[in-house]
Amino acid sequence: MKKGEGPSDAEVVATILAGETEAFGIIIRRYEPGLLRYATRMLGSRDAAADAVAEGLVRAYRHLASCRDPTRLRTWLYRIVANRCKSELARRPTASISLDDAPPVPDPESVETTLERAEQLALVERALAQLSPDKREAFVLKHVEGMSYEEMAAATGERIPTLKMRVHRAREALLRALEEVE
Amino acid sequence: MKFLDPRVHRVLDGEEPRESLDLALRRQVERLDQAAALLASSLEQASVADRVMTAIRRPAPAHTHRFIHWLVTPRAIVLRVRPAWSLALAAGLLAALLLPLPESRVALREGEGIAQFVARFPGAHSVAVVGSFNDWQPESTRLEDPDHDGVWGASVVLPAGAHEYMFVVDGERWIADPLAERFVQDDYGRENSVVLVQPARVSHL
Repeated sequence: MKKGEGPSDAEVVATILAGETEAFGIIIRRYEPGLLRYATRMLGSRDAAADAVAEGLVRAYRHLASCRDPTRLRTWLYRIVANRCKSELARRPTASISLDDAPPVPDPESVETTLERAEQLALVERALAQLSPDKREAFVLKHVEGMSYEEMAAATGERIPTLKMRVHRAREALLRALEEVE
Repeated sequence: MKFLDPRVHRVLDGEEPRESLDLALRRQVERLDQAAALLASSLEQASVADRVMTAIRRPAPAHTHRFIHWLVTPRAIVLRVRPAWSLALAAGLLAALLLPLPESRVALREGEGIAQFVARFPGAHSVAVVGSFNDWQPESTRLEDPDHDGVWGASVVLPAGAHEYMFVVDGERWIADPLAERFVQDDYGRENSVVLVQPARVSHL
């Protein structure tokens, strides 16, 4: 955390473990947007992502004492939610994801721009959905969530060379998929 | 599928400046940047904060009480033992568990069974079982070795059905059970063991 942005993760965790349950709201506000974005990109469904993130955050709260390094709370949370996503994907008949049908509602003041953007997003989402789960996860963590390879390793439990290989393959597959859908 | 110039990867990994690329390669970088930016910025989603806070304000499930209750109240279970060498150990344990006290009652919920994980890891300092049932968290379900003979075990109440799992030894070695009846390749290229839990025969005495 930068100065002026409130208590550090370690301070918030200590407060929660001291019995201040409500302080977990700080953790939610801090990391929920990224976790929802990540889960939605992994699962292709806002509802499924909301379930995964909600269940993951509750589990994180219950096991907060086992977070050995609160300064790395972010990657620990991603790891929990990633496991929820993995379990959800494993329950599906195939590893593929189905995208939400409803497109974003366009802003009346900039309908043309919004529609064009929505079309571009739909293209990218379709291309992303064609990637295998491990490539999709690698691309999203690296380029959407902006993690370093070290952070990705902490969030996934995988080795950095493995993650680099997946990111490289994901880039190639995504570019190819974009060329196919465009 | 290798059609990306390695320099594109190096630029995207921040190892080389973007200006080092020619126009065609820079276009590929920009296309990927654009895709990532779209995926990062366009999501509007309702918060789950209320749902989470409501859940955590409730008392946590009393797993300890439930486990103690299970210990003192023998019931019908399904026993799962992995390593072949420990079948004798399993047989003894099974006999002990299936010879309940006269007043024994079945207290498992409908649709639940018990998986017994037993494995031999001589010299290990800690062994845990991780799986789809505990979100693969090594801290969740630890095996015990009270006799310090290298035989580790744990009983876990699980919903009936198939559960993927692995053992985690000393917090860092993830080991699939080599004698599991089933294995499955997960989405990440790893091979998991599979335990099949049958629902306990719940009697209502």
